[in-house]
Amino acid sequence: MKIIVAIKQVPERDAQVHIDSSGQWIEEANLQYAMNEPDAYALEEALQLKEKAGGEVIVISTGPERVSQTIREALAKGADRAIHVVCDDLAARDALGVARLLAAAIQPESPDLLLTGLQSEDLGLGQTGVIVAELLGLPHASLILQVEIIAKEGSKAQIKARRELEEGWFQSIELPSPAVLTIQSGGNKLRYATLMGIKRAKTKEVRTVHAADLGVSAAPAVALEAITLPKKQKSTQILNGSAEEAAAALVEKLKFEARVL
Amino acid sequence: MRVLVILEERGGHISRTSWEAATAALRLAPMQEITAVVIGAQTELPAAEAAAKAFGKVIRVEHPLLAPYTSDGYCAALHQLIQQEGPTQVVFPHTYQVRDYAPALACRSGQALIGDVIEIADGPVFTRQLMQGRLNGSYRHAGNGPCFVSVQAGAFRAELPDAAAATPIETFTPAIDAAQIRTRPGEPFRGSAQTVDLGSAQWIVSVGRGIREAENLPLVQELATALGAELAASRPICDNGWLPMERQVGSSGQSVAPRLYLAVGISGAIQHLVGMKGSQCIVAINKDPDAPIFEVADYGIVGDLFEVVPALTEAVKAAKQ
Amino acid sequence: MIFALPTLAEPRHFSLAEKLLFLALAAASVWGFWRRFGVVLEKILEAKKDAGFHLFPIGRRGREFLWEVMCQAKVIRQRPLPGLAHAFVFWAFCAFALVTLNHCATILGIGFLDPDGFAGRCYFYFAAVFALACAVGILGLFVRRFLARPRWLGEKLSWESGLIALLIFALMATYLAAFFVSDKNPAAKALWWAHTLTLLAFLPVIPHTKHLHLVLSPVTVFLSRGGFSRIPPLSGDEDFGLVAGKDLTQLVSLQAYSCVECGRCTEHCPANNTGKRLNPKQIVLGLRGYLNEFGPSSDEPLLGKYNSQQAVFECTTCGACEFQCPVGIEHVPILVGLRRGAVNTGAWDDPHGAKLFLALERGSNALGFPLAERDRFIEKNALPLYDGTQEYCLWLGCMGGYDPKGREIILSLVRVMQHLGVTFGVLRKEKCTGDPVRRLGNDLLFQQLAESNMEALKQSKTKKIISICPHCVRTIQEDWKEYGTPPEIEHHSEFLARYADRLPQQQSREKIVFHDPCYLGRYRNVYDEPRAVVSLAGKLVEAPRHRERSFCCGAGGGLAFLGEETGERVSHNRAAELASTGASIVGAACPFCNTMFRDALAAQGAGAPQLLDIAQLAARTLPQDNST
Ligand SMILES: Cc1cc2nc3c(=O)[nH]c(=O)nc-3n(C[C@H](O)[C@H](O)[C@H](O)COP(=O)(O)OP(=O)(O)OC[C@H]3O[C@@H](n4cnc5c(N)ncnc54)[C@H](O)[C@@H]3O)c2cc1C
Ligand code: SF4
Ligand code: SF4
Repeated sequence: MKIIVAIKQVPERDAQVHIDSSGQWIEEANLQYAMNEPDAYALEEALQLKEKAGGEVIVISTGPERVSQTIREALAKGADRAIHVVCDDLAARDALGVARLLAAAIQPESPDLLLTGLQSEDLGLGQTGVIVAELLGLPHASLILQVEIIAKEGSKAQIKARRELEEGWFQSIELPSPAVLTIQSGGNKLRYATLMGIKRAKTKEVRTVHAADLGVSAAPAVALEAITLPKKQKSTQILNGSAEEAAAALVEKLKFEARVL
Repeated sequence: MRVLVILEERGGHISRTSWEAATAALRLAPMQEITAVVIGAQTELPAAEAAAKAFGKVIRVEHPLLAPYTSDGYCAALHQLIQQEGPTQVVFPHTYQVRDYAPALACRSGQALIGDVIEIADGPVFTRQLMQGRLNGSYRHAGNGPCFVSVQAGAFRAELPDAAAATPIETFTPAIDAAQIRTRPGEPFRGSAQTVDLGSAQWIVSVGRGIREAENLPLVQELATALGAELAASRPICDNGWLPMERQVGSSGQSVAPRLYLAVGISGAIQHLVGMKGSQCIVAINKDPDAPIFEVADYGIVGDLFEVVPALTEAVKAAKQ
Repeated sequence: MIFALPTLAEPRHFSLAEKLLFLALAAASVWGFWRRFGVVLEKILEAKKDAGFHLFPIGRRGREFLWEVMCQAKVIRQRPLPGLAHAFVFWAFCAFALVTLNHCATILGIGFLDPDGFAGRCYFYFAAVFALACAVGILGLFVRRFLARPRWLGEKLSWESGLIALLIFALMATYLAAFFVSDKNPAAKALWWAHTLTLLAFLPVIPHTKHLHLVLSPVTVFLSRGGFSRIPPLSGDEDFGLVAGKDLTQLVSLQAYSCVECGRCTEHCPANNTGKRLNPKQIVLGLRGYLNEFGPSSDEPLLGKYNSQQAVFECTTCGACEFQCPVGIEHVPILVGLRRGAVNTGAWDDPHGAKLFLALERGSNALGFPLAERDRFIEKNALPLYDGTQEYCLWLGCMGGYDPKGREIILSLVRVMQHLGVTFGVLRKEKCTGDPVRRLGNDLLFQQLAESNMEALKQSKTKKIISICPHCVRTIQEDWKEYGTPPEIEHHSEFLARYADRLPQQQSREKIVFHDPCYLGRYRNVYDEPRAVVSLAGKLVEAPRHRERSFCCGAGGGLAFLGEETGERVSHNRAAELASTGASIVGAACPFCNTMFRDALAAQGAGAPQLLDIAQLAARTLPQDNST
């Protein structure tokens, strides 16, 4: 089974982000980057599928030169080879634009399965996988926690996936390969990166493709105008009064402010 | 302006988040220019429910192949509807289901969805969160087709005018072929109910050494039952064998991330905090106003748990009726 | 007068047959020795060279050799009675070297010490004194091993030890007895032969038993890596730590063969004392067993037949074993080396461990908190930011930055520094120093953390750091060196002690027991400074195990992050000991000890002593403080 995993490089979770002078993006100069966490789960799922059923895991990522570091990390964790779609204006493209790049680069590989993370930790769009499926004309399922190959005939396989629904419900969904699944965090246990993996990754193939050569439109359908700091800051509200008063006030807050009841 | 709002059904009724999305649509167009869309294999009841509001009209998108939900079915049906109606905007509630098909639907019109919107300003300019809520981004539609928008749950308070006269209801029957539907969804089911699964619990009441004795545990158990919550504990409680180990939250127990974490008589030691810091809403009840648990709490009650917990149980029961 | 004293009887005439017999026996004895010793030596030499090993400067080696081998200082200090007994045996052996040589030379007619001459007589008396002390010593050791039988010597009685004791005793007895017969008496010759035969029997026994340490341990001590518990660098692209035999270095192999099985390491090991599987002596003997069976170029995994992965990951890296070991075995580098082998290759599969690694791969701290929490703490308490002009960069560490208790320690230290008018600032871009991952053997992650931190420190032009955490101090000062030049760092106990005379002395006679953190005491040799601070606030009392022999809190070596322990909790064992001193306060100097004892003292029930860091103790002495 040939599995492609689309991974994204995002600012590290603890990176201190500052809005740049244009007011349209963040200062990238001193940022440290990491692999988007849901993508790490997608990669883990792919590696486990390969360990069970054999095949090949290819990672694909688009972005500037720095993305190669995250690609190395994926190779270190066990991917077999990688495709780097070099693109320096990623932030200016919308979800459709990025998906077009990926779809064009993926098409010639004709994978049996394409996995992406559910959403990215920086933009949080949660659309890329679904749009790529649409562009490639493949069936898809989103919010997937576990993947199973239930039947296999030649290169065709039937896939069964466990999908998360709202409020603690789940569903299993079947679809034929080739297919696209977007993977939710937490379905698996991630493996940690090892020194041996990093050393071995040095010899694996990374093919670079330039965005300009893929012949897709860069004109966005949605334009980011500005980024700003949100107003609210987290603070603790202490509820006073007698036990009954405090209890009543709490229930009120939980119901209408926090909306968790 | 011609706005379509796609409403979702939940438990036999149009969901709250759908009403919120419809309210958000009011920022784009007046009520009479908004068309409410209900979709499924049988849409009579939700259509009637929608028609009670002062929408310009209600469209029932109905076809036997639209139940159960599949992305393929919904995309095919709604794409045909959009082609027929030619809306300027299409508004959705940002639910798991919408996330599953709306990006593909938008793509089919050559557009990109502006998802999880929390604010709509004149322009229209749509605001959504970036960097896990650390920044906001404002977006404008730049394409030359309809603009697709999904609205975050809770971002708008559902307030829609009721219909004065009867709202027209139309039926739209899309052309769908069974072969177009490539996925086979199964019946929804609950996560494993028999074993304790704190990790996926949505509500948790957690008890600490402040409870003093095992005999007092029923007090918090009652609160948990009233809330429909799982009971969890700090390490001393499990060390003493008052509750089983698998109910321990913290660095050497479970990591949990429920919507509500209610800590009763727990001081908030670091090993406990690391196991529950990801909770959406944290409430602490502790008699010590300096207890570190208040540092991470959203709401706190400083007081004796033996008074506060029974009062809270009553208040919750009352609110649930 | 001197002629009234007995003279050593030394037979003068030996027949040719006797001479030939002696030569044959001597040859057989040397052959018996070499047959085993040669194999051992070959295995040691065949092992891989040690990366980063330098023989020079030799001064340190000389000093350690003198102190630990010749003076037997460690042996005596850590177990005074048996230690002294052992020292006498050792010194007697030294004194006997000349006697023995002369003894053998006599039969060939080339003896050089004349029992009747002045020099000879003096030397023989000198040796006799040691022989007497040795005989008493060996008897004592015999009684201890076979009658008293302390737990750490192992369950099984060792017949070897009995045999050796017998041989040594016989050597001494035959020597001493020769003073009481005349050299004309046939008994003199009988004694000579008895002594010789004992000697020739002794020699081949040495390499076949743990008495190999007689030959190896002086070399081991001399060649030790130096620097307590120093983790050696990895060498080259194929070195992932101790994975298989081929990764064992010459030093590790030498150490494995040097162990004398005294069990001191195990006696002091917190893991072993609380019912864990780990037994440091067995770790060393396991490597020896491995070398004997598979040899130093094998691909057979080291964690398998002879050592278990579980045991290796139960070590708190407290260093008690290494500190105790009289023959210079460096356990911590071995244990960490085995962990490196398991982690760097991904063989270690532990949910808690993976969680810790992933938290640090993706975030900045071992606890997995968002950095914003730390920023909030800094802002709320208006801690100044370090800008290169202040005297100290105050390193918060994971505990100081996120743990409610650790934060209290930081705030106390801040109060004292402000009182003293010492300037400081904190960093915004601080990451975990990498201590837990270093000790758990994750070299990839450790390197990333060390480099990223050193870069941030360089950018902020930091010259001097102060930290409340001995683990941070050790890691920054020693471990980071593998990847760059870390700035100077100081533990707050050293800082506070230096300023002790400018801090008010409290008149309180409250009893305070101080717990020596492993990473401050054994690792850094800082014992008096925290005590000076404790003495400002009350009356210092000592726990039974203190200073170099302090007992671990259980947190080190990454274990604070690895979930529940098996067996008794180390922290509970220690907390009970601290409480038993009757002190009303436990003084700590490490936020990890603090977090362990906070929990463990609470489990002691009502009346347990209060727990305070030395910074909090110092802050208590300041005027207008009523916080604690
Ligand atoms: C290595 C290690 C791992 C650990 N792992 C975990 C873990 O996984 N999970 C965990 O929970 N702990 C863990 N701990 C223990 C942790 O350090 C704390 O000791 C523990 O969480 C404290 O539990 P607590 O808050 O219930 O008790 P306490 O700290 O004793 O707090 C009791 C609280 O109850 C309040 N209280 C008392 N009476 C009342 C009353 N009548 N009304 C209201 N409030 C009252 C008090 O003010 C106090 O704040 C670990 C410790 C270590 C060292
Ligand atoms: S370092 Fe400490 S815990 Fe580890 S083996 Fe040695 S004595 Fe035991
Ligand atoms: S390792 Fe050292 S302390 Fe431990 S038994 Fe061997 S010689 Fe003794």
